[in-house]
Amino acid sequence: MTDYKINILHIYPDLLNLYGDKGNIACLKKRLEWRGIAAEVRECTAQNPNIDFENTDIIFIGGGSDRETEIVRCALLEKKDDFIKFVEDGGTVIALCSGYELLGKAIQMNDEKKEGLGVLDICTHIPSDNSRLIGNIVIDCGDIAGKVVGFENHSGRIDIGSHTPLGKAEKGFGNDGKSGFEGVLYKNVLASYLHGPLFPKNPMLCDYVLKKTLIHKYSDFTELAPLDDETEDMARNHMLSVLL
Amino acid sequence: MRKLIAIWIAKLSAIAGRLVGKNSSAGPGTIALKICPDLIERLQANIKGKVIAVCGTNGKTTTNNLIYSALKKSGYSVLCNNLGANMLSGVATAFALRCNWLGNFKADFACFEIDEASAPKVFRHIKPDYIVVTNLFRDQLDRYGEIEHTVELIKNAIQIADKPVLVLNGDDPISASFGISYDNAVYFGIGEAVLPQSTEVKEGRFCTVCGEEQKYNFIHYGQLGDYYCPNCNNKRPNIDFEAKNVDLSDGISFSVLDEKIQLNYRGFYNIYNVLAVYSLLKAMNIEIKSFSTTLQEYKPQTGRMEEFNIGKKVILNLAKNPAGFNQAIATVLQDPRKKDIIFAINDKPGDGLDVSWLWDVDFDKILHSGLNTVSLSGIRRYDLALRFKYDEIPFSAVSEDMRMLIENCLRTDAEVCYILVNYTALFSTKDILSDIEKQKGIGEKND
Repeated sequence: MTDYKINILHIYPDLLNLYGDKGNIACLKKRLEWRGIAAEVRECTAQNPNIDFENTDIIFIGGGSDRETEIVRCALLEKKDDFIKFVEDGGTVIALCSGYELLGKAIQMNDEKKEGLGVLDICTHIPSDNSRLIGNIVIDCGDIAGKVVGFENHSGRIDIGSHTPLGKAEKGFGNDGKSGFEGVLYKNVLASYLHGPLFPKNPMLCDYVLKKTLIHKYSDFTELAPLDDETEDMARNHMLSVLL
Repeated sequence: MRKLIAIWIAKLSAIAGRLVGKNSSAGPGTIALKICPDLIERLQANIKGKVIAVCGTNGKTTTNNLIYSALKKSGYSVLCNNLGANMLSGVATAFALRCNWLGNFKADFACFEIDEASAPKVFRHIKPDYIVVTNLFRDQLDRYGEIEHTVELIKNAIQIADKPVLVLNGDDPISASFGISYDNAVYFGIGEAVLPQSTEVKEGRFCTVCGEEQKYNFIHYGQLGDYYCPNCNNKRPNIDFEAKNVDLSDGISFSVLDEKIQLNYRGFYNIYNVLAVYSLLKAMNIEIKSFSTTLQEYKPQTGRMEEFNIGKKVILNLAKNPAGFNQAIATVLQDPRKKDIIFAINDKPGDGLDVSWLWDVDFDKILHSGLNTVSLSGIRRYDLALRFKYDEIPFSAVSEDMRMLIENCLRTDAEVCYILVNYTALFSTKDILSDIEKQKGIGEKND
């Protein structure tokens, strides 16, 4: 056991857990614990909506239905300034699916423009026919994580402006179905349309986040110990072989 | 003439299909509709009585087939798509194949299982007088988008159907919402807490009227239970047909309107299927003759806790979404015998391409059920393996060879083997089990 400890905050798991997002929380926690690093998961819920930014290292926001995402958006707007400060100070945020859209400046549908958290300088546009981009997706994340597989199901199209994408969509739609890019990396923020259990099958992406978080928190931290990822690799490689 | 040609070609294609061993229940209807797009409209006059449609995420096949059996048992002739296909083409198949070569048939009633997404389309061709909604859970999100979308589809379908009587699961806030400000709905439900109370409700926890989080006096599973909204007072409706005195110790028994109902198959969810049928028949004012015999004789269709005796009892069950899977696991848990379990998950279009929901299934519960071995199969077996790694459930084999996995289980000292599979894995597994059954049968004769 090391002296390191990471506090993970799952934002509204009661509302945003549409596609098995708890797989990501389990992955973050276990991959720390398997390395002898303590991990504590706390939840911010409709009943208990407090966010202790001071004592949080990783904030996780998953995906929900339109209605549930709207409830979360309204609740989080009250903490907008704290959220931006958390990110600018180097805190880790993982936002997937509709959680990704919430991080932007705005979500626009027809004439209605909804304010986002403004953590990222991006805008989500929802087409008036509400058509969805659905399917398996492979993105190439280069040095940080190699090829990542997942599933996307979103009606929003995100223009990431001058932000750095998470990866290049080799198969599937990505941010807007046109640019060929998927997700955003900004400081210690990882945002992506790849929903649900993204991390379990892509442990290198999970490790990328964990390492950045540990380095940010502990000046003496250098490297994560390797883990046996045979099962993970088999699950990912199967999908890669089918999709590419 | 067009109508006749369509019927003939549909019938011939069904015969040709059987000859080559391909039993498609959608194909003949697809062809028939191409030749005669209004075939269903033109054949409707052959149905003397009412038309019934059964919708819902889980249980609609069982419910529809039970309606069919109950009506038949009472002496009625019934047109039904019980061959399986539940989209427009499947309904057309049922019509076309029922006709004689002159293009006529006689039926007192028609009952159709209808896929939620197809309901508006089907109802444009044939307007049901009764619509049964069993429940609405999250299912195949990649096909339907979100559950709100499915709700919209059914609302739309109800409008198209033009004032049907709704038979709704009153324990399900989502299904029951179709009856809000609708004056012709009856409700069924289970009126007491039966299963251990879980606080985990995933979909449908929010008031369908005002969006506030609902509270529950008791929960059955998923979002089903005695719910109420603390904000706007929307609540579980008055239940017209309520199951009470539920006993799961030997099969299932319960009472409804002073009648005692006894089922010899397992699965808490079957109470809802039977209640739906009971409520529908009562709402239709149909004298139900020998309802309990119907229930006793009813053989659950493929893969609904279907038992095979191949030297050891093997029980095959379909589970295609988190609610279905958690219910299947709960049913396995009620069986105290030492058991092997095989899981198989495919990701073909019929299953839904997205298997993310595996992370919403509480697999770890199987560790408490006299578990002997666990084997994993299906196209997405490695996703299962990874899921099980996280729940620390040891598995002894991961293989696409289902036959080998089954044969391995026959050699263990466990008393029973459960096979839990999703949709497309069901039929291939059933074929293997039937094949082994046949071989064993021949083997015994030779002995």
